[in-house]
Amino acid sequence: MLLAAFTSTGPREVPPDATLLSLLLQRDVSAFEQLYDRHARLVYGLVLRILQQASTSEEVVQDVFLQLWRNADQYDASRGPFVPWLCTMARNRALDHLRLKSERQRRREDLPEELPTIVVAPEYEKALDEKRRAERVRALMASLTPQQKKAIELAYFEGLSHSEIAATLKEPLGTVKSWIRNGLLRLKEGLQATT
Amino acid sequence: MKNCDQFRELIEAYALGALDPQERAALEAHLATGCVDCAKAVEEARWLVTQLAYTAPEAAPSDMLKGRLMQTVRAEAQSLGKPRVMPTKSAIPFWLWAGVAALLVFSIYSAWNTRRLNNEIRDANNRAASLRDEREKAEQELVLAKREAMILMDPSSVKIALKSGDAQGPQLEAKWHSEWGVVVMGENIPMPSPHHVLQLWFIPKEAGKMPMPSMMIRPDANGKFVLLVSDPPESMDATKALAISEEPEGGSPWPTNPPRYSGGVS
Repeated sequence: MLLAAFTSTGPREVPPDATLLSLLLQRDVSAFEQLYDRHARLVYGLVLRILQQASTSEEVVQDVFLQLWRNADQYDASRGPFVPWLCTMARNRALDHLRLKSERQRRREDLPEELPTIVVAPEYEKALDEKRRAERVRALMASLTPQQKKAIELAYFEGLSHSEIAATLKEPLGTVKSWIRNGLLRLKEGLQATT
Repeated sequence: MKNCDQFRELIEAYALGALDPQERAALEAHLATGCVDCAKAVEEARWLVTQLAYTAPEAAPSDMLKGRLMQTVRAEAQSLGKPRVMPTKSAIPFWLWAGVAALLVFSIYSAWNTRRLNNEIRDANNRAASLRDEREKAEQELVLAKREAMILMDPSSVKIALKSGDAQGPQLEAKWHSEWGVVVMGENIPMPSPHHVLQLWFIPKEAGKMPMPSMMIRPDANGKFVLLVSDPPESMDATKALAISEEPEGGSPWPTNPPRYSGGVS
């Protein structure tokens, strides 16, 4: 029997996120652990980039994964992929912290417990693994002009509006709007071209 | 869908969360009309924005975080009473059954107690969050009221009379402080038509530049309103005039009607 156990250790099949999420509905702790191990680096990296502080970032990541554990039933795998949904939840949480921390007036009407909308992958998008997806987006982002990149980063990672970005960069509002729109359209074209 | 073009250029920034409140309200009002093309474009833009998460460098959280999480998750899984596999053979002495029964009763009691405590903690947190929100709201209102008073009292604020297009109509007044913003006040203002609002515009000095949309106004039952614009879209030096026009509910990115009231910034 021991020999049989040794001889059966071929490459183990890695369950997809959707399978683990369906196990999560049955309160499967092991499925939760696998999801955490698979995505914690991406989620923590994103939150840390927004908050710039390790201890607060860990608090937010803990909230995000506990919310996943407690509300897994609110994610419907048939409507869209899991990772964008998880990252949107993490970004919303981190930006809420950032705004509370700086005592700025909260612009979002989202309640803290509200979960993000599931985003449908567009037709041009095809399945890529997370590593290739990350490499592709980083390369495209690096191809933008420094102004486009900066304006998009201020909006995405700091949650600033057009007016706030214009004030931060001391540039006209219309110019900032163009940087953001043209930059995102260029990213979109790049994504379409590389899939 | 004749208005789609004017909203298309807002969609990427909307998905990014970068639109200022007026533009966001205008776009959401348009989406609420059920425009399928714009809804599809928003969906695509949202996908695009989710991809930006990959531009953050990945980082490893501490092992302690995983430890804390797994401890909580295991405790919650246990408190919710996962089904357990019981031995099927009956060769178990009575005293062991009694022990198991006692353990079961204790487990049920512990689970019930844990759930009760969790509920109490959650209720207390909810109450605290609600009180905190109310306090924050009251503080924000106080800050805004103070700012309005400062703008109105400060001698360096510039007074702007907004005259009605109708000679018999009411006259509005605005005061603009270069640092603190603009306060616009009016009395006896007729209500806008159904499904319409009054919207404030900043008209730039620069030739050919479009009026900048600002906040929406809804007079009270007595036709009175006080509006604070703490972050005007243009500076005073760059603004030729202020104007108020009637616009569709939710506001508009640019004027669709002639101004009801206007006044030059001297």
